Amino acid sequence: MAGPKASTAASKPASSAVDPNAIHSLWKAYNDTTPSRLKLIDSFLVFLMLSGIAQFLYCILITNFPFNAFLAGFGSCVGQFVLTASLRTQVNPENRGEFKDVSPERAFADFALGSIVLHFFVFNFLG
Amino acid sequence: MFRIWRVLLLILSLAILSYARSSTGNSLLVVLDPSLSKDNYSIFFKGLEEQGYELTFRAPKDVTPAIIQDGIASFAHVILFTPETKTYAKDIVPQALVDLLSKNTNVIFALGSKQTPLTSLASEFSLILPPPGTPLISHFPERDTPATVVPIPVSFPSPALTSGLSPVWYSGIPFALGNNPLLVPFLNAPSESFAADTTEDSGADAIVDAAERGGEGLWAGKDMSVVTGFQTIDGGRALFVGGIELFSDEFAKKEVTKGVKSGNAQFARDVAAWTFQESLVLRVDGSTHHKVNETQPGDKYTTNDHVVYSTHISKYNPTTCTWEPFSGLTDMQLEFTMLDPHIRTSLPPVQGKPGEYSVTFRIPDRHGVFKFVVDYKRKGWTHLHSSTTVPVVPPRHDEYPRFLSAAWPYYVGAISTSAGFVIFSVLWLAGDDRGSRRRKGAKAE
Repeated sequence: MAGPKASTAASKPASSAVDPNAIHSLWKAYNDTTPSRLKLIDSFLVFLMLSGIAQFLYCILITNFPFNAFLAGFGSCVGQFVLTASLRTQVNPENRGEFKDVSPERAFADFALGSIVLHFFVFNFLG
Repeated sequence: MFRIWRVLLLILSLAILSYARSSTGNSLLVVLDPSLSKDNYSIFFKGLEEQGYELTFRAPKDVTPAIIQDGIASFAHVILFTPETKTYAKDIVPQALVDLLSKNTNVIFALGSKQTPLTSLASEFSLILPPPGTPLISHFPERDTPATVVPIPVSFPSPALTSGLSPVWYSGIPFALGNNPLLVPFLNAPSESFAADTTEDSGADAIVDAAERGGEGLWAGKDMSVVTGFQTIDGGRALFVGGIELFSDEFAKKEVTKGVKSGNAQFARDVAAWTFQESLVLRVDGSTHHKVNETQPGDKYTTNDHVVYSTHISKYNPTTCTWEPFSGLTDMQLEFTMLDPHIRTSLPPVQGKPGEYSVTFRIPDRHGVFKFVVDYKRKGWTHLHSSTTVPVVPPRHDEYPRFLSAAWPYYVGAISTSAGFVIFSVLWLAGDDRGSRRRKGAKAE
């Protein structure tokens, strides 16, 4: 692996040689500077995204029947993703300036209430 | 005293039973031309009387009894033994005869070689008659009768005829048949016979010429018919006979070969029995339908239901004058139609249940007003038609199947999202202290 990469780096010094380093430094910076709570949120977001992609692929490749179940399953992923993403925005310390009057506790309470309402509709629609 | 009464009653009931009557009635009008003697057809008429028919005779020019009185047919059956009659009383016109047939009255037409109102009527029934004065002629087999008197072997396998009939003496005209599906040929001309206006062999040149022109203008061969029935759509039956001599005593008694009597008497009896709706008469007694595993007919069905359709068919038995269950139809079909047949399936007889025909099928995935249709039309047999309308509705909102195996990825997706939310919340709340501390630390930095 290292050999061919080194050779491409030699022939094209501009962009392709930078990429692995850039990704690596991005990953390192993320690991070092992101609070663990945001990492928890991010892992949940990744899980929701993968689950949504899997359901969408199943729908278009295999069957969209029953369609209501697809809508419920896919919608729960998307809705949960949106709610979690907004939670992430509100609890991110870097956004403290924009959400001065929203405490992290308040943000989580909003998130939990929104999620419970979402899941209520999802399970009504699922069967 | 009692015993005598009982014996008399028994004889009386036996006499009634032995009377074979038609399924439509036993009054019979015979319109007989004055030039013909009743006695010449005594075997035929006596046979009908013994069967239980009440014969009324009338000349074509008589005014009474009318064939149609106040719009109602006066007789159940009519025989027109008027092959050469050109003028009739006012009530016997072609329209009236067609009207009779549509009123389920049966008519026997005896045609002759002269041009009469009946010959032009025959062409309305898809019979193509030869020019006037051209009787059927055959020089085979060698015999002592004139060439116009032809023995015709009964080779046509019609279920209405007794099997194993001797050849039938025939003298009259042949006719070609149009492609009308309602025609029921009973007796076709022999292969070596032809129609010609002369019996002299000197006139044979014209026929040889016609044959050399590829048969153009030639009336010959076994595709010509001499006795043909016609069953109207309503069930009335007509019989066209090219020569009235077929019914005569002379031909009935005449020997075909030494010691073998002709089949005329039995043949005339058989075709008359067919015409007067004694034989090959069927009816639909009723039909039912219900869902599988139920017994009551549903007032509506849901798409994809499995339903059982059964129908009961009876056949008229002229020897006992009763309708008997009949399981002999093997090619009946059931159609489930909404404009077009969505399903067409065979309707076979049920083993062990006489007269019962049944089939189970799945209603198509299509809602609307459907009909169960049995439409059985076969040459010679009564046309059977039965139609039952049923609505087919889509399933109610709570009748759809739930928790399908195909949807498990979606269920798993929704459940895992909820589970993920719970786990996330627990981790969030559990990690609260560490996170806040860290955030404070970050702030301090």
